[in-house]
Amino acid sequence: MTTIATTRAPEDPGAPPAGSAAPERTEPQRLRRSRLAAGRRRTALLWALLLAGPNIALLLVFVYRPLVESLYLSTLQWNLGSPTARFVGLGNYVEWFTAPTTGRIVLTTLVFTVATVGGAMVLGLGLALLLNRKLRGRGIARTVAFAPYVLGGFAVGILWLFMFDPRYGLIQELLGWVGIASPQWYTGRPWPLVMVIVVYLWKNLGYVALIYLAGLQAVPQDLKDAAALDGASAARTLRSVVLPLLTPTTFFLLVTMLLSSLQSFDTIKAMTQGGPLGSTTTLMYSIYVESFVNGRAGYASAVATILFLVLLAVTAVQLRFVQQKVHYA
Amino acid sequence: MSHRPARRATARPRTVVVTALAALTALTAAGCAGPSVGAAGGSDEPSAEAVDWSQVEPAKEITWWSNHPGASQEVEQQFIDEFKDETGISVKLVTAGADYDEVAQRFQAASQTDELPDLVIASDVWWFRYHLNDQIMPVDDVMEFLDADAADFQPALYSDYEYDHQHWAVPYARSTPLFYYNKDLWDAAGLPDRGPETWAELEEWDASLKDEVPEKGSTFGLSTGPSWGAWWFENMIWGQGGAYSDGFDLTLDTPEAIAGGQFVHDLFHKSGVATLSADDAMADFSSGLIASTIGSTGSLKGALDAAKFEVGTAYLPDGPQGGGTPTGGTGLAIPSSKTTEEQLAAAMFLEFLTDTENTATFSQSTGYMPVRTSAVESDTMKATYEETPQFRTAVDQLADKARVQDDVRVFVPGADALLNDALEQIVIEGADPATAFEGITPRIETAYTENVEPYLDPQD
Repeated sequence: MTTIATTRAPEDPGAPPAGSAAPERTEPQRLRRSRLAAGRRRTALLWALLLAGPNIALLLVFVYRPLVESLYLSTLQWNLGSPTARFVGLGNYVEWFTAPTTGRIVLTTLVFTVATVGGAMVLGLGLALLLNRKLRGRGIARTVAFAPYVLGGFAVGILWLFMFDPRYGLIQELLGWVGIASPQWYTGRPWPLVMVIVVYLWKNLGYVALIYLAGLQAVPQDLKDAAALDGASAARTLRSVVLPLLTPTTFFLLVTMLLSSLQSFDTIKAMTQGGPLGSTTTLMYSIYVESFVNGRAGYASAVATILFLVLLAVTAVQLRFVQQKVHYA
Repeated sequence: MSHRPARRATARPRTVVVTALAALTALTAAGCAGPSVGAAGGSDEPSAEAVDWSQVEPAKEITWWSNHPGASQEVEQQFIDEFKDETGISVKLVTAGADYDEVAQRFQAASQTDELPDLVIASDVWWFRYHLNDQIMPVDDVMEFLDADAADFQPALYSDYEYDHQHWAVPYARSTPLFYYNKDLWDAAGLPDRGPETWAELEEWDASLKDEVPEKGSTFGLSTGPSWGAWWFENMIWGQGGAYSDGFDLTLDTPEAIAGGQFVHDLFHKSGVATLSADDAMADFSSGLIASTIGSTGSLKGALDAAKFEVGTAYLPDGPQGGGTPTGGTGLAIPSSKTTEEQLAAAMFLEFLTDTENTATFSQSTGYMPVRTSAVESDTMKATYEETPQFRTAVDQLADKARVQDDVRVFVPGADALLNDALEQIVIEGADPATAFEGITPRIETAYTENVEPYLDPQD
């Protein structure tokens, strides 16, 4: 603003010689400009509301309203479908924190999340590094790797269920070739959880690999060339040049994968229905069971609120601490 | 470059918004329709006044939510077409789930919306919950108005839906568990062509049968799971003189109930007669892997079609204190919130679906039991029994051995799943039955005090 005012001042017919009391002389211009700017801001705001309004309305109706309603329901003892309910305050939360099954559900959720997110990140990076090489048929390989991600989770679960069958599934056949007896995938703890983790990993690996691949292709070749000139080995280049430049990608994947893993449902529903003996019941799945199987909608809403707080906390921690480590080139 | 700091400026708020929105969706998982909050939690609504059905004009179009039990979609559609020809009323058939539980969950979720069907599947463990929630209407009046001859329904099946001196559903795809056996293997083992009369007899037969079953197979196989394990286990717990409950009072800590648990424990972990089927015991049976199993009547047609050997059916074996077979499967109920015009049209269709002829057709094409006494004696069923005598077993077993299910399993929401949990602890992990039962007892009691007791009318 100052620069403009200074340069434009001499063009003003009534302008005094440079160096005289400039602030008094430019005041009307400033006023006019600020009015103009305010007008522009108003127009911009109007446009923003007009363009974003429908989306905001949708969010309010379909996201925030259920959120608030769910918070309210979590204070009720309510049989899903019943026209009446009873107010219990924080009773549902107290019950959750003292329930004998809570510890197991939290542990299962933790194992599932760490294994699926950690596994997908490591294996996805490995796959991306492979797909980033100049190999024949690379395009086909990329498509094949990504394909599971676009398949429906339920269908994938059902198909893998056949493959895991300990009596006549494909996997017991393969294990048989190397002389290993098939684990009891459906019934023997902890195999059902392992089975669900494997399928979830398989389904999401292509997505992680694809995002990593995009990140890898954005790593400047000259940096890699410089590292090579300095005598850095491939491993050293990966560690000191490529991985630091991939941290924004890693951060993005960490956030999105954690959220989707904590909310995963379809694979578990299709393969184990949370069993046997609740060994594959995660926090998310327990919401479904409490609400739709046991009909305890108030209690389920309380668990949903707890899951929401967990997700919020996880995201906040990531933004606060993990993002500090992100290296933007 | 694409990875320059510009991204830093936008990444933070955008990520916050995206992640917050993603997180918020978790909260939409639970139901959204709001109940009215009352002190007691029970329904204060007065019971509906009697409708003069003769003054009601039936609706021209209704919707039916079904899971097509026993792969019955085609025959259900055939009934719909015939009903339309006869009455002019269209019925829209909606696949509302893959099993009874899924239909019920959808029905619960849709309550208090205008998306409810006019006729809905109401299985043995769900109809009472519909009733407690005031979601379905009693059918006695309207069935009487339609001359549906309720007295002709098999008494054991129709009385299952009776509560408060009224019937809340009409039997449709009704079943009992049956003992299925592989006649070829039975023959090879030199056994008589019949099922074992007692569980002890099956244990005796195991010696000769186990040499005949393929590797990885067994004499007897079972699978567990919600809406399943706690159903067949009633036969075993009753066989030892026990029960899940007496009315709503849990009896899982009685020596007889624990003996039932011990019996199933030993069947898997001591005598080794039984193995646990990984997923579906009927599939293992049809493929010849296990020589016998317990399956629903509704699986009969599928087993006959799938098996490459001759399938035998028999009563469930007895224990030392007798036994019995629980009835199960599903009925059909009419939602209470629909208009009387829609309810009348739904009742007319219900009456049509369960008339003598259609009952026989449905039974013949699925294996489910004929729900009408007159249908059992109909020419269609007689011809079916002559051609496929296995169909007859369920009907005879119903007459000879049926026993009303224990209240806790069918009336307390979530109790079936908890009982199945205890059963899985015993069967899969070899847990001590008394400990397994003790573990679920407080949870079933909570479910009763929270989800049933406050909703029962004081006079009950």
